[in-house]
Amino acid sequence: MTSLTRRAFLKSSVAASAAATVGLPVSQAVLAQAKAAESGWAWDKAVCRFCGTGCGIQVATKDGKVVATKGDPDAPVNRGLNCIKGYFNGKILYGADRLTQPLMRMKDGKFDKKGPFVPVSWQVAMDEMERQFRKAYGEKGPSGVAIIGSGQYTIQEGYVAAKLMKAGFRSNNIDPNARHCMASAVAAFMQTFGIDEPANVYDDIELADTMVLWGANMAEAHPILWSRITDRKLAAKATKVVNLTTYRNMSSDIADLEIVMAPSSDLAIQNYIARELVARNAVNWDFVKKHCVFSTGPYDIGYGMRPTSKFAFDAEKDIQAKELEVTLSKAEAIAQRRQPGEKVEQKSRTSAGRHWLIPFEEFKRGLEPYTLDFVAELAKGDPDEPMEAFKAKLVQLADLYADAKRNTLSFWTMGFNQHQRGVWVNEQNYMIHLLLGKHGTPGNGAFSLTGQPSACGTAREVGTFAHRLPADMVVDNPAHRALTEKTWKLPAKTLNPKVGSDIMGILRDLEDGSVKFLWVQVTNPFQSSPNANHWLKAAREMDNFIVVADCYPTLSGKVADLVLPAAMIFEKWGAYGNAERRTQMWRQQVEAPGEARTDVWMMLEFAKRFKVGEVWGAKPLPGLKAEGFEDGKLPDVVEGAKAMGYKPEQTLYEALFATPENRKFAWPDPVAKGKANATVKALGENWFVEKALFEEYAQFGRGHHHDLAEFDTYFRDDVRGLRWPVVGGKETKYRFVEGHDPYVKAGAGFDFYGGAFKALPTGNLDAVTEAKPTPIPGKAKIFFRPYAAPVEQPDKAFDLWLCTGRILEHWHTGSMTRRVQELNRAAPSAVLYMHPKDADSRGIKRNDAVWVESRRGKLKLVVDTKGRNAMPRGSVFAAFFDESLLVNKLVLDAVDPISRETDFKKCAVKVYKA
Amino acid sequence: MGGPSDRRQFLAHAVQGVAAAACGGVAWNALLVQQAHAVPFAIRPPGAQPERDFNATCVKCGACVVACPYGILRLATAATGIPLGTPHFVPREEPCRLCPDIPCAKACPTGSLDRVMTDVNASRMGLAVIDAENCLSWNGLRCEVCYRVCPVKGKAITVDPHPRKLSKHAVFVPVIHSDACTGCGLCEKACPTQVAAIRIVQPALVQGRIGEHFRMQWRPEAVPEAAAPAPAKPAAPAKAPGVDYLNQEVNP
Repeated sequence: MTSLTRRAFLKSSVAASAAATVGLPVSQAVLAQAKAAESGWAWDKAVCRFCGTGCGIQVATKDGKVVATKGDPDAPVNRGLNCIKGYFNGKILYGADRLTQPLMRMKDGKFDKKGPFVPVSWQVAMDEMERQFRKAYGEKGPSGVAIIGSGQYTIQEGYVAAKLMKAGFRSNNIDPNARHCMASAVAAFMQTFGIDEPANVYDDIELADTMVLWGANMAEAHPILWSRITDRKLAAKATKVVNLTTYRNMSSDIADLEIVMAPSSDLAIQNYIARELVARNAVNWDFVKKHCVFSTGPYDIGYGMRPTSKFAFDAEKDIQAKELEVTLSKAEAIAQRRQPGEKVEQKSRTSAGRHWLIPFEEFKRGLEPYTLDFVAELAKGDPDEPMEAFKAKLVQLADLYADAKRNTLSFWTMGFNQHQRGVWVNEQNYMIHLLLGKHGTPGNGAFSLTGQPSACGTAREVGTFAHRLPADMVVDNPAHRALTEKTWKLPAKTLNPKVGSDIMGILRDLEDGSVKFLWVQVTNPFQSSPNANHWLKAAREMDNFIVVADCYPTLSGKVADLVLPAAMIFEKWGAYGNAERRTQMWRQQVEAPGEARTDVWMMLEFAKRFKVGEVWGAKPLPGLKAEGFEDGKLPDVVEGAKAMGYKPEQTLYEALFATPENRKFAWPDPVAKGKANATVKALGENWFVEKALFEEYAQFGRGHHHDLAEFDTYFRDDVRGLRWPVVGGKETKYRFVEGHDPYVKAGAGFDFYGGAFKALPTGNLDAVTEAKPTPIPGKAKIFFRPYAAPVEQPDKAFDLWLCTGRILEHWHTGSMTRRVQELNRAAPSAVLYMHPKDADSRGIKRNDAVWVESRRGKLKLVVDTKGRNAMPRGSVFAAFFDESLLVNKLVLDAVDPISRETDFKKCAVKVYKA
Repeated sequence: MGGPSDRRQFLAHAVQGVAAAACGGVAWNALLVQQAHAVPFAIRPPGAQPERDFNATCVKCGACVVACPYGILRLATAATGIPLGTPHFVPREEPCRLCPDIPCAKACPTGSLDRVMTDVNASRMGLAVIDAENCLSWNGLRCEVCYRVCPVKGKAITVDPHPRKLSKHAVFVPVIHSDACTGCGLCEKACPTQVAAIRIVQPALVQGRIGEHFRMQWRPEAVPEAAAPAPAKPAAPAKAPGVDYLNQEVNP
């Protein structure tokens, strides 16, 4: 670099990568200069660590360190760009307090739950982990142990975790943080299409005329996609962007139409739109008749809280009581065709997902109450906006949707998903798009975005949920279990048919003592889960053992008993899948510091400590009732295992992972191009763990609508991820559509071939009238779902709505981005965004410290009345990234009763001067 | 620092400091005014008089420093080159939080800071400028941190999307508006580049001015501050203008 000034170097490398993007000729001299400046750097493709957008990056390493990153100019998602988090991909590895050795609570040389953390060897750590696991597993069986996993798991990590728990320990108590993020989207996909994940792709942005955001602040949460939406608006002047939100956020900056709505009123607004489409005869009847059916389900489904007040703080008891019985408000009564003040017992709280077919006339009758006047009255979210102006906006929105000539995309994320009726509100969006026949075609579709880098690729596709198996299969379906047992070469009835505890369930299980061993991987649930005071207390005060594997010390580590140092993204081989079904892989680039290890290694080492004969014996399982199973018990399958050639003294490592088939994938492998593999090295093995496990996993999807390409394909220099199904080497842009999706036969037009919930009873809006199931192969469902009010609403004592969320500068709980000094300086702490008049009326000025108090806890925050979010009167917002300001102490732990996803977006608080 | 003149200045400051401590500084004002034009740009608390007047009236009592609830103000030391003992702040370290009640200015005993100012957003402590070459947002990255931290967001800094041309992404270009920028420096502090790509500077250093004779009718606010001076009444000409030229011989 001697002959080159730094500035000249920067310019030449910018010019070279920019030119590569657009194919401009670059002078050989400039290229040579760029190369000289990077002498000794090895560039390799990888993926951004952060959100679900899935930007491609290039990572440069030298002397075992990541020295630079750049947005990958060839990545179709981002074309060389990154957001401010992505800009720091290289720095997140090198925070000063990176964990480098196992830390365990000890006293007098032994584990002690009340002792301080002390560095220990991996041997000591794993010995204690094994001892504690055996204690919990022995006492409680498979339901006494749990893993909280992640939408940031690599595909291989998720696969190992799921297989170890489900096939090895026969426990379904594994659930990812993705439950907090897009479980509602999943349930809606399954109920509507019978198969998970979006039909559309990001390329639709450049083809859309109208783009509607429903509870998605894409400007901050999907920054690079937002650049594409904005560019579309600049390039095609007729493009309209609509932002439906409960407060003005940055996405309003380029919106043509901003609709500030009341929490949960999205349910009513979408029914108003559907009612308009029917009334205006804007329904695409040709499409609907050929490809859709109408459906509905019960309304009395509760709010996913505990049915008992036993564990509630006194202040929480009034809201908790509503779990069993709700008094209908006037709006709810009209919306649900009942009487105001009627007390409704929540009878369907344990069967919330039940649904049945209804005729169109019933669907239309359901929509009838959702007139403009009724909906505007309940939906107007800004008390200072004139009613007529708000009504005009709703009409404008309906006009945009009803316009047959406009290509229309709807996007949503947490506003819909983190919702007490999250599945319903997702389904309503499909309702609109299906009525219009505008789904899964170029420029048209209802597009569920994801928050995390592999919420789709791992949590969903691999199936690291309490109810799932790979490739959209579920544990409570005997055929799915049988198929999985066959692929995994397990004796029949190894798999547990009882759905395990979801993430809120696991936390509640810790509190009531039914889970005694918890392993947390690639997430920080004690900061990211609502009503945190309960679980923090349970972690420390109950008799349990909590292991947290992470790269940095987190709040979850603080309440754990054992903290394991984990390798980070570029320190391991991995794969992520983004929100447009794009699977992207990367090679290990550098070594993890100190004794930090890959999560895959940790799980495989742990698997070595358990023998087939122990875990596949008979196990107690309280509450198990399933056809072919004895009540409350998983059968002994050791004999069956022996018949298949397993030996009882064989370890789970050998039986599940280092199988003869998997050992055929040899390490080293030419695809590595000389890069190392920390997992293989630490295991002291010679098989390529990540490749073997990927290929084993891919068997589930190939030929079953989820085809992934071969492992090596993703590492080809000309590949920047591929969108599945990849059939015959070709990726799929549009699912369910003839000509795009290889699974749709010629002449079909569309085929919604997903197989789940495709034989249903028939009834009316209120009940089933004909129990005999009608098969509906190839059809998508148009649901009628009513408006339901949030279970907790502002009242005299707690008079403001609180919404929580993410900001552009920080990722989730900040465990990585808070280590980047520059990001921390850009957004040092969470603040409370508040309307200036709400502040004034409480004697509060901007920058004052205030108490924010809910029924569940209180927290001191600094007020901002003019920052990035402009709140309407009556609402406040605080982000959750700041570990020192635990916003989730305040949040209600109500969940959608169908998806079990938490509602982080609405609870009631009061604010007063500190 | 380093040259002989720097050293002389340093000694002068040091002497002033000692004397100021002894007699309240008032006696030194004349001296300070003289040297004010030569010192580096100091970012003063809200409501500061123009630099020359500020230096003439500030008694270096430190009342504003004590009043600042965020502890961002400091009295200049010799090393800064700023008139010794006068209050200032360094935005990259700690910017002004623009307290609505302006406690620093209220505490000023001499009026060096405007004690009757009511709108802190009317402060003009400096002006933010962006180094577009090194600004991440100007280069297409989704940063815009300056825009989000700006306390007069949407007025002092706006974001102006442009097509990127290299791909189907927009570039979100932050633009500073001097009519609203207070110079508080929150943007400079928050800028995530290694060396801040947005800085608070002395407005006169970077601001041009269009001719007073011209008006951009689509920007009525862009009228130059100083009213066009009335043309001086021309002295009665000794000769009719132009006559000499016209009387010259014509040489073909």
